[in-house]
Amino acid sequence: MLVHLQGAWNPWLGRLTLSQIPYHSPIVLGAFAFALLAAAPIVGLMTYYQKWGYLIREWITTLDHKKIGVMYIIIGLVMLLRGFIDGIMIRTQQLLADGPRSAAHLQAVHGYLPPFHFDQIYSSHGTIMIIFAVTVVLTGFQNIIVPLQIGARDMAFPYLNAVSLWLTAAGAALVMISLFIGDFSHAGWVGIVPLTELPYSPGVGVDYWDWALQLSSLGTTLGALNLITTIIMMRAPGMRWFRMPFFTWATLSTQTIGLTAFPVLGVALALLSCDRYLGTHFYTAGLGGNLMLYTDLFWIWGHPEVYFIILPAWGIMSEVIPTFSEKALFGYTVMVAATLSIAGLSWAVWLHHFFTMGAGPGVNLVFSVSTMLVGIPTGVKVFNWSLTLYRGRLRFETPMLWAIGALFLLLVGGLTGMMLAIPAINYTVHNSVFVVAHFHTMFLVSVFGIFAGLMYWFPKVFGFRLDERSGRRFFTFFSLGTVFVFAAMYTLGLMGMTRRLDYLYNPHWQALLIIQEFGIFLYCVSVFYFCKMIYVSIRDRAKEAHGQDVWRTSRTLEWMTLTPVPFYNFAVIPVVHGRDAWAMRRDSGLTATSPGDYEDINLPNNTIVPAMLGALAFGFGFGMVWRIWWLAGLSLLGIIGLVILRSFADDRGFTLTAATVRRMERNHEDTGIVTDHISPPVAELALFQ
Amino acid sequence: MSRTAHRLIGPEEPLWAPHHPEADPVSLHTLGFWLYMMSDALIFAALFAAYAVLDHPYNAAGGPQISDVVHPVAAFIQTVIIFTSVFAYSLAMVGLKAGNRAFVIGGLVAAVLLGAAFLGLELRDFAVLIAEGATPDRSGLLSVFFVLVATHGIHMVFGILWMLVMIVQVAMKGFTTAVVTRLLNLRIFWMFQASIWVCVFVFVYLNGAYR
Amino acid sequence: MSLHRADPLDHPDVRNASGIAFVAGYAASVGLMAIALMVTLRHEMSYVRFVIAVAILGGLALLAQAVLMFRLDLSGGQRWKTISLLLVVPLFVLSIGLTGWMFHTLYPRTMLDFMQVQGSGM
Repeated sequence: MLVHLQGAWNPWLGRLTLSQIPYHSPIVLGAFAFALLAAAPIVGLMTYYQKWGYLIREWITTLDHKKIGVMYIIIGLVMLLRGFIDGIMIRTQQLLADGPRSAAHLQAVHGYLPPFHFDQIYSSHGTIMIIFAVTVVLTGFQNIIVPLQIGARDMAFPYLNAVSLWLTAAGAALVMISLFIGDFSHAGWVGIVPLTELPYSPGVGVDYWDWALQLSSLGTTLGALNLITTIIMMRAPGMRWFRMPFFTWATLSTQTIGLTAFPVLGVALALLSCDRYLGTHFYTAGLGGNLMLYTDLFWIWGHPEVYFIILPAWGIMSEVIPTFSEKALFGYTVMVAATLSIAGLSWAVWLHHFFTMGAGPGVNLVFSVSTMLVGIPTGVKVFNWSLTLYRGRLRFETPMLWAIGALFLLLVGGLTGMMLAIPAINYTVHNSVFVVAHFHTMFLVSVFGIFAGLMYWFPKVFGFRLDERSGRRFFTFFSLGTVFVFAAMYTLGLMGMTRRLDYLYNPHWQALLIIQEFGIFLYCVSVFYFCKMIYVSIRDRAKEAHGQDVWRTSRTLEWMTLTPVPFYNFAVIPVVHGRDAWAMRRDSGLTATSPGDYEDINLPNNTIVPAMLGALAFGFGFGMVWRIWWLAGLSLLGIIGLVILRSFADDRGFTLTAATVRRMERNHEDTGIVTDHISPPVAELALFQ
Repeated sequence: MSRTAHRLIGPEEPLWAPHHPEADPVSLHTLGFWLYMMSDALIFAALFAAYAVLDHPYNAAGGPQISDVVHPVAAFIQTVIIFTSVFAYSLAMVGLKAGNRAFVIGGLVAAVLLGAAFLGLELRDFAVLIAEGATPDRSGLLSVFFVLVATHGIHMVFGILWMLVMIVQVAMKGFTTAVVTRLLNLRIFWMFQASIWVCVFVFVYLNGAYR
Repeated sequence: MSLHRADPLDHPDVRNASGIAFVAGYAASVGLMAIALMVTLRHEMSYVRFVIAVAILGGLALLAQAVLMFRLDLSGGQRWKTISLLLVVPLFVLSIGLTGWMFHTLYPRTMLDFMQVQGSGM
């Protein structure tokens, strides 16, 4: 039943041979050197300061939702950088390869990238940015903030939370390793069929893409049910539904989408895997396959995924804007209704991604109208944010700058989205870079939201503020870069430039391409200021340290905890009396963090099992990609065995006595996320004692 | 001081909830698992959507049509077996209510045996089809038929594995909170397989035979 | 925070097991499917009427299972399960229904025109 493959295969290494390591490509070699250069100091410092044990005890094995969230965000930011480098390479190739007289470098005929390599780069750019950067960072925020906002000590399922993280990490690791062993997919992040089918993509690239997505989407689904259960079941006393902070509402809507949409992606990819491994005919061009089925299934997931990415960013904006306007969010109830209706509508708009496929006019009409309907709740949101700003006492600190930037981008992206919702226009600009510019604008709303959240919540998690000066420069250069790249890209789209071109035939596009490249340069400058911001902030952390409520006008419960947040979150669970619980307490002069009367706290022990499951999932993915059946099989058996084994262990958890809690609350030094002196022990260590 | 749009908290109102009970772990886990099954249901939604698309004479690619591969009477026997297996598991839940270990284990063993019988019939069905040359790689139609039915079958395999583990755990540990929670989750999982089978039976076997 | 020490066997999800309901759910499921089988074997209806008939029978079997086997209701313990199920059902209808409709209109407009379109399994 297995597909007969052309080329070498042996039972021990599968399709893996030494020649699969692209050491002959100078670009890949450069990337490898860059990765080594980045990793070497980290590994060296870790070893020098003997921090490996700390890393394993406090981070790899942790079940603390805040640390898990921080790791999500670190993975996401690393992938964001990787995706950004891919973006630079795409832009530079298109700049160099414009017109028949364009120069050739390296092994390329035009520009410096051969078509096969260029195709891999835009495929990995899209896959990484959407699945492994933005999605992952936003999941991290939801992990950190939601339990704090609803007054819970942890997520509903801390262990499952860690499993989700390590599955996502396994997926990200597959994408990264594809850079150095074998190829990545060359069929676009959406996986264009039948290009992804075995006859047209006989290599391992599509398999890497397939299994990386599959693993991370499993992680996202598990994370979704965890967050939904947390929000439904773990709210503090008095936290009624319509007292929940808005970010929690956004998370609930987001994760409802995550829970229901990601399985469809799983099926779309699994059927492709059947085609590639078992020789079935789901999406093949012949023998009864239907390649339009893939597009349909993919976008059933794909469009909800868009809102999966945008809703949490809107949630962040809805926290930041009231804080820095010193006003309550305008029209809270309407905002909740708008968010929930967007989540609902997200299931009835997917066909607008392929109006041109040729479905009947009635079908296109229905999907066109349902797409435009999304504009109503979105418009409501824009007006509500504006009315929150209206007559507010505005303070333009960095989080606020990013939030306002996101608001403007949303206008541009939303209005071009309305244009694309009209099938007549869509037929004209379909597959042009106008569409690319539109969805980049929308993703940048998320990215702006992410940076707003990063600036806003960083002090809460780590106990010190990010440097305001370089933060502002970061914002300025990033925004200018956005304007230069995407204003030019919209124009190029209307001039007829299509997507995914490794060679541009029209020399008249040169000027706009140079403008875009200049924008990319500005982005690079902004990355420098980002790194500087992190460096300066860590260097001056003692100076920028502060108490529980750094912005002094924040409104929600997460600002009530000690800063940095102790691993048990709340020494005693607070009672909530209304919306904006923290603002109510502050205005009532009740800002003490705890009642002075403490109690024992029970929390789960740390455990290495989730990280092991992640490692086995990576082994499974790698084995499947290279068709190393023993590795894939053993990894799968290992996962099943480990899950069963753990179900036999009775973990009573770790009890923190009231006396310890009192000491920790009085003496803040013990509570930091980075410098935990007291935290749950690793359960498996007991086996060795 | 920010402008207040909300009331202030009075001195008599409680600010803290000391000894606030944790969310009940059984309810928490069954809700979480139920949500997982909802996402599992969407897997089948996508598969049925694929089936709806590929269930077209064109997708048989000149090979056997769906009416040639499905046997409604044999599938009905499978239906009765899986319903009975779920019923046996349900009776084990009645035993759980009474705290009767032997009853629970007996119900689980019966459910396992019936589940295995179901899988045996399914595998025999597959073997016959493959021997006739109606393999999954013959046509798009057969691909979706096999994958849809086998996805349900793989769920059954994991259900049986889970039940075997639970038989051991009930015998070893008795009705601890964790064991009871798992039994309740497994109940959701196992009953869910019967519900999915209703859809498979009606839309694949009966609908296919009517063509 | 105190650990839960309540007897898990007192949990409503355990208490809601009911022999009578399970027997009724079992009988209803088997009976409805038996009727569906009879309808199929007699082969007397038009195809469209047949699909509607078995879909209704299947729907009733699912409803019987939800109420009698899963014991779903609007009580505190089961409320969120019922609500989430009710929210997921429309997604089934949307994803399968709209997909089917889209392909139904797509076939006559693409190369599959010459094929006899005989209801695409919906």
